[in-house]
Amino acid sequence: MSSLEELSRRHEDQAGLAESDTVPRGAPILELRGLQKKYGLVEALKPVTVSFLAGEIHAIVGENGAGKSTLIKLLTGVIRRTAGEVFWCGKPVQLATPTEAISRGINAVHQEVVLCPHLSVAANMFLGDEMNRNGLMRKAAMEKAAQAVLDDLGFHLPAGARLESLTIGQQQLVATAKAAMRGIRFIIFDEPTAYLTRQESAQLFRLIRRLRDQGVTVVYISHRMEEVFELADRVSVLRDGTHVGTRLIGETNENELIALMINRSIEQIYHKEQVPAGDVIVETKGLSGPGFEDVSLTVRAGEIVGLYGLIGAGRSEFALGLYGRQPVTAGEIFWEGRKVSIPNERVAMALGIALAPESRRDQGLCLNLPIGLNINLPVLKRLSSGLTIRRGDAARNAERQIADLRIKTPSRHVLASAMSGGNQQKIVIGKWLSHGARLFIFDEPTVGVDVGTKAEIYRLFGELLKQGAGIILISSYLPEVYELADRLHVFRGGRLVASHDHRAATHEDVLTQAIGS
Amino acid sequence: MSVETTTESAPAPRKGTNILLGLTLLGLLLALWVALGFATNAFWSPNNISNLLRQGAMTAILAVGQTFVIITAGIDLSVGAIVGFTSVIVAWLLQAGVPLWASIILTLLIGVAIGAFHGFGIVRMGLPPFIITLATLTSLRGIGLLITNGSTISISHEGFTNFSRADFLGIPSLFWMVILVGIPAFIFLHLSRFGRYLFAVGSNKEAARLSGVNVDRTIYLAYILSATCAAFVGLLLASRIGIGNATQAEGWELQAIASSVIGGTSLFGAVGSVHGPLLGAFILATINNGANLLNVNSFWQRIITGLLIIIIVYFDQLRRRGSR
Ligand SMILES: Nc1ncnc2c1ncn2[C@@H]1O[C@H](COP(=O)(O)OP(=O)(O)OP(=O)(O)O)[C@@H](O)[C@H]1O
Ligand SMILES: [Mg+2]
Repeated sequence: MSSLEELSRRHEDQAGLAESDTVPRGAPILELRGLQKKYGLVEALKPVTVSFLAGEIHAIVGENGAGKSTLIKLLTGVIRRTAGEVFWCGKPVQLATPTEAISRGINAVHQEVVLCPHLSVAANMFLGDEMNRNGLMRKAAMEKAAQAVLDDLGFHLPAGARLESLTIGQQQLVATAKAAMRGIRFIIFDEPTAYLTRQESAQLFRLIRRLRDQGVTVVYISHRMEEVFELADRVSVLRDGTHVGTRLIGETNENELIALMINRSIEQIYHKEQVPAGDVIVETKGLSGPGFEDVSLTVRAGEIVGLYGLIGAGRSEFALGLYGRQPVTAGEIFWEGRKVSIPNERVAMALGIALAPESRRDQGLCLNLPIGLNINLPVLKRLSSGLTIRRGDAARNAERQIADLRIKTPSRHVLASAMSGGNQQKIVIGKWLSHGARLFIFDEPTVGVDVGTKAEIYRLFGELLKQGAGIILISSYLPEVYELADRLHVFRGGRLVASHDHRAATHEDVLTQAIGS
Repeated sequence: MSVETTTESAPAPRKGTNILLGLTLLGLLLALWVALGFATNAFWSPNNISNLLRQGAMTAILAVGQTFVIITAGIDLSVGAIVGFTSVIVAWLLQAGVPLWASIILTLLIGVAIGAFHGFGIVRMGLPPFIITLATLTSLRGIGLLITNGSTISISHEGFTNFSRADFLGIPSLFWMVILVGIPAFIFLHLSRFGRYLFAVGSNKEAARLSGVNVDRTIYLAYILSATCAAFVGLLLASRIGIGNATQAEGWELQAIASSVIGGTSLFGAVGSVHGPLLGAFILATINNGANLLNVNSFWQRIITGLLIIIIVYFDQLRRRGSR
């Protein structure tokens, strides 16, 4: 028996999951009838009726703000429903608290990692479920067990490391391992691959299939259609809080799903504006700093320069170095032909550099402040006359970005924390679009963004290029950089290891260079 | 199976909640005044009212400065000690024959310097605000006692000491000082971009920095404003009691923090206003004043204040929690 099964068995014994609480594979294990959730006046989920079958992989797709995460939070007891009924193995249940959900065997890996950054990986995995002997915690035993589980799952992570020393993607894997360990019947993944590298995704998919084969029901939320078609048995579509349909995966196709999701069709997601390359905007020569070494590249007006690599390859660090957030230890930066030094972010902004950072939660947004203030923060100086802010102009600026990016919110006064993940990402982008710049650095700009808006963002890239800007596009999602970048640079271990013109190399070549073998 | 209905508020626009909280606090203050008016005749006597306004004024000014710091997710424990210390400084300067205007400016500059020192400790030395301001709290009391040799310095400057007893348009001059501080503070916090920067720094330093906010300068600014407000209160106190005494204003930092928190400021940062702490300070002053008039044991006053803080902040939490 593998260490994962062993541990989940331990949990099942403790929780005492009743034998009667099982249903045969293929029968409904969880049924939602008229499930509804209101946040004040916002109806995040209109009455939804859907059932999940034991042992299936059930994908849920829908636009940003469609209510996917809300549905998940209801099922895991994180929030409470406004109305409706839930049946678990045919019996009505409350699912009022996370503890109740967990004790029934329902677990989730949430969109935003909710773990304790200062604790070790093992401590996080056992949090709330520690191994004790005589009232004392068995730290070493837990670490050993945690390591066994991680190895068993094929995640190459040290159980003793502090969580905060891991990348967001790795943290997501820890959350996954934690959920998988807990004697599960039903597990939900909310956009799990958003921050994962290709191999990490592959490991995760293996785990998901393995769970299904053991009879676990898996709910899988994603904006990436190819993943849905690769994994799922059935797929449900949410639009504006309503359930607009469920299909067997073999009986549908991408176009039908997109049409259901956004009620219109998209001809081309990766729309690439053909703009003739202009003058060189920025050139780095042998730039080195914490996490990157000897990076030389140029960005011209009207050009998208893509940086591809695994997470942790040094692309974001390079961006932060160029932006003055982190000290550059060697090398030179030439801005429009002039040698410059960029000691801090304000100098970078004054030159004309904008950086939409990687992590919306840690670097991009002031979550407990309103959307409007978040959008206006970089441009408050421009919106002020003397000491005071011109409120009318500030309001107009925020409203314009909200409209242009179709940020789904009742008002600009709503706190950023009340937005769905994808809509938060749009705020980060809107912030920098309203600032304007000659060089835009977008670090993973479409993480968690739905197809329709993705197409919209790519169209906006085209607008920026036409206005004479240059773009550095950092992405771990190969199709995106591959289709959009005029020049694609591959990073590995902090170094730039290969460069290609638009579509000059195959996916496989690029991947191999990124992994290095 | 039962259908659960949870009533919960949307993440209401913060502008709206700010005004709502302000009105609630104002209502509470007026209710207290009406109730005390019925309970004791002495409450509405002109003498008592001006006394109340004077008592509340000094805490109110401290609370405004404190609020700037708390909005950046910091804390300034030193303000009470600064009040005592600067009362000594101004008394000493005046007794040394320094002209009044120069004494006032020098004393305020000392406030600026102390605030800048706090900023330095936090930004450059990386000390937690709690620690650096706690250190100043004890050191300043010590330095003040050294200067005065453990005693007090009396102030013989008539004009200076008369100021605090004077009225203007029938309202105590000390209360006018609240307005003098309050209006620019309101413009700064709510209408200028620097106010927005305080909120941004308190909410997420890294996001603020990457948005081009000068985070270090913003932190300096908050602590300098707080310490300068405290030095200003030191002037007012010296004028009121006519002496400089380093042990005065014991525990006022806690009064200021309490006023701020009652006024809706979140100790986690990024939430606060100017009018909230002002109202909070006068609510606290009213309770103390009323309790005196009603002959409530002063030990009980402390207990009541404690309970009040819990109740008000608890209700505020309930109101804020919209998301479950
Ligand atoms: N705490 C909250 N308070 C108020 N409204 C909220 C809150 N959380 C979510 N909402 C609203 O509920 C709706 C559904 O949000 P949800 O997070 O379920 O979307 P989602 O489908 O997961 O989107 P995404 O793909 O962007 O993650 C959105 O309009 C969102 O603004
Ligand atoms: Mg979501």
